[in-house]
Amino acid sequence: MIDHYDLPGGGREAMLRFGPETGPVVVVALPLFEEANRVRAFAVSICRALAACGVTSVLPDLPGQGESLVPLAECGLEQFSEGIEFAARALGHDRSLYAVGIRSGTLLDRLTILNGRWHFAPQDGADLVRDLTRVKQFATAADDTIAGNAISTALLDDLIDCVAWTEADGGPVRTVRLNTDAKPADHRVPGMPLWRRAEPGNDPELAKILADDIADWIAACEG
Amino acid sequence: MLPDDISEIETTVRAVLRDVLGLSAARADAFRSDTALFGALPELDSMAVAGVLTELEERLGILIEDDEVDGEMLENFGSLVRYAASKQPQ
Repeated sequence: MIDHYDLPGGGREAMLRFGPETGPVVVVALPLFEEANRVRAFAVSICRALAACGVTSVLPDLPGQGESLVPLAECGLEQFSEGIEFAARALGHDRSLYAVGIRSGTLLDRLTILNGRWHFAPQDGADLVRDLTRVKQFATAADDTIAGNAISTALLDDLIDCVAWTEADGGPVRTVRLNTDAKPADHRVPGMPLWRRAEPGNDPELAKILADDIADWIAACEG
Repeated sequence: MLPDDISEIETTVRAVLRDVLGLSAARADAFRSDTALFGALPELDSMAVAGVLTELEERLGILIEDDEVDGEMLENFGSLVRYAASKQPQ
């Protein structure tokens, strides 16, 4: 269902909510910018599959992203991370909280109240900036945006040094990648990189595999 | 393991084009070395070029310098495979 969460500065953003009223809550962080559009339907499939496993999840629009009315040019990593935090908190303080990050969404789960982090195909900030630079180079539009996103120089500078949370930072982290991806991972799954597709796609079978993995991992974390 | 011989590299380039451009397996399997790509394949627009290059880098462990990317490299399937094979994994 469509719900919302409130930000401390008075802002309000939309979020989709799935699953039961009790138990652990998963907050799903989409990738930043264009990739968010490409995997949103896939993320919703993951949330629905999690609900079928009895796990609650929320998929927030972060400030400056999705349907948010906040201009992206005014947003940085702090605003995105704050969005993840307050979307997670919106379902109550007495439930354990887990982050599920997809691609550059794994850069946003900085809040320490999380019980654990599950990352799918994480992309570090330097690679994201490289992607954005490349897209801008090949783009035909002659404006200051990158594929329609007005990304501030300060945000690009912050992103370059940004890497995903690791267990050395605290708490359990599980990394899952596609089996075509050579980077280190705890587990590999078959599938296509939907975030590269110019036309948004979906892969319900992969969404189910990932949701089962997330649900099993949370059950293990909850002990 | 990263692909290293030419037939594995060709298989990887074919898979990247299929996955990034959303082509059917039948269409991707039908690519021959003289199959024209940039300018001939409607799915391969400027946004998609960036995705193809980045995905090739990830799967082959190579680094593609953007100033090396030109019409010749993307002219046909064979030229893209030759370019990929000429790069050493990092």
